Amino acid sequence: MELAQQQKLVARLCTNREFREEFFANPAQVAAREGLTVGAEGLAELHHEHLRQFARLLRTRRLGSVGVALPLTRRVLGNRFVECFKLYALRPPPPGVERVVVDAIGFVDFLCGQVGAEVFDPAWSVSLARYEAARLEAVWLGRRLVVRWLPHRIGPLLVQLAKGKVEAGSFNRPTLAIWWRGTERGRPHHWLV
Amino acid sequence: MDGVENRVGRKTEITKLLANLPRLGVGLAYREPFRDELLQKQSEVDFLEIAADDYLDATPVLEEELELLAEHFTIVPHFMKLSLGSAEGLDEAYLEKVAALVKWLNPPWWSEHIGFTRAGKVTLAHPAPLPFTKDAVAVMKRNIITARRAIPTPLILENVCSQLVWPGTEMDEADFLNEVLGVGGCGLLLDVTNLFANAPSFGGDPAAFLERLPLDRVVQIHFSGGHESKGRFVDSRGQAVPEGVWQLLEQAVAQAPVRSICLERDDNLPPLGEVLWELERARAIGRQHRRWN
Repeated sequence: MELAQQQKLVARLCTNREFREEFFANPAQVAAREGLTVGAEGLAELHHEHLRQFARLLRTRRLGSVGVALPLTRRVLGNRFVECFKLYALRPPPPGVERVVVDAIGFVDFLCGQVGAEVFDPAWSVSLARYEAARLEAVWLGRRLVVRWLPHRIGPLLVQLAKGKVEAGSFNRPTLAIWWRGTERGRPHHWLV
Repeated sequence: MDGVENRVGRKTEITKLLANLPRLGVGLAYREPFRDELLQKQSEVDFLEIAADDYLDATPVLEEELELLAEHFTIVPHFMKLSLGSAEGLDEAYLEKVAALVKWLNPPWWSEHIGFTRAGKVTLAHPAPLPFTKDAVAVMKRNIITARRAIPTPLILENVCSQLVWPGTEMDEADFLNEVLGVGGCGLLLDVTNLFANAPSFGGDPAAFLERLPLDRVVQIHFSGGHESKGRFVDSRGQAVPEGVWQLLEQAVAQAPVRSICLERDDNLPPLGEVLWELERARAIGRQHRRWN
């Protein structure tokens, strides 16, 4: 039972930087507040740097999985994807984050909402990110209807990205992306209008 | 004396069971962006390992994807979130879903980690290490027994990547892995990149560490690349496999009755063609040590 309490504490220490700093500033008080009556002194001896390294490894794993879930956005944004993910990972994870797709969708929401336009260079990459996130909702989360208005021509972009090179151009024409399935167990139909 | 004989007898029995597992060869941890190329280059990949937690509660599209893959490849399910090291016990509902997926795939074995990903309301993206104590061995034993009652398919367990060592440790990592595999009656999924990355925490010599593991239990090997950061190796699975990991892989294949080797690649995915040479090099190492033809 004591180990269960310790694991809860270690899991929070690995995933919450503020909590980690608070704990190492005053381990006995924080452990008592968290209901850990025995073993707090021992956990206070956890190597601070090793704990930080493990926290970074957790972030690296999340980044890797989210990059696989959003492969085109990852490729186009390159290192900006990585830097933005580091900022995103500082926030409390979205509910259901244990599912990679939920984490990926949360990251795109973060990019579009918190980071803003400066990360999206070329400009059409915002449409690409929103398209990939919408596809995850339709395919992995099984939503019956997913509709996205995207400010760029996503169809030609997907074709050119598949060939490995996007020709110069603005792609400034809106696209309506739709996924719809007739029944819960049906296969989704997809349109780009 | 009877206890010792029983333990030796049980060990022999488990080793024999593991020796009867099929030789799968060299495979790849499946990632969706590889799908189309994989179907075109089936002959170059002997099996696929799936991140199986992602396929629980699968939508029809994902079920179709799995069916398609299973038509062309042997599929090995690799789990992370059953969390066999959780002292609060297994999530029974989750275990039922795991059991259903393993039954449907009918693989030669399935795998999880010697660590925990679930504690209270927190789910970790990667298994955290356990304290190297008898209490933690007992937790693993209890959860393994529960899992094996639900899933008769052979279970193999992976060593985790972390330099984090809990205070109050009662043994070192090599002894801990030996204890867990012994009481659990499981095979070993040996991640040589994790060994390489963890080296600073056990004196810096992964080759010597490897010698102390129960190599007769190794069924599968994981290997992957990484990068250097602040003077230490980070197992990011986003780059080519470094030479130090290749050396460990060769040492393990030379000494252990390996049935399969699997390359893991996550971030920064290149086209499949750019990683196939790593599979071919691993296959050649297996051939050289007569693990397969």
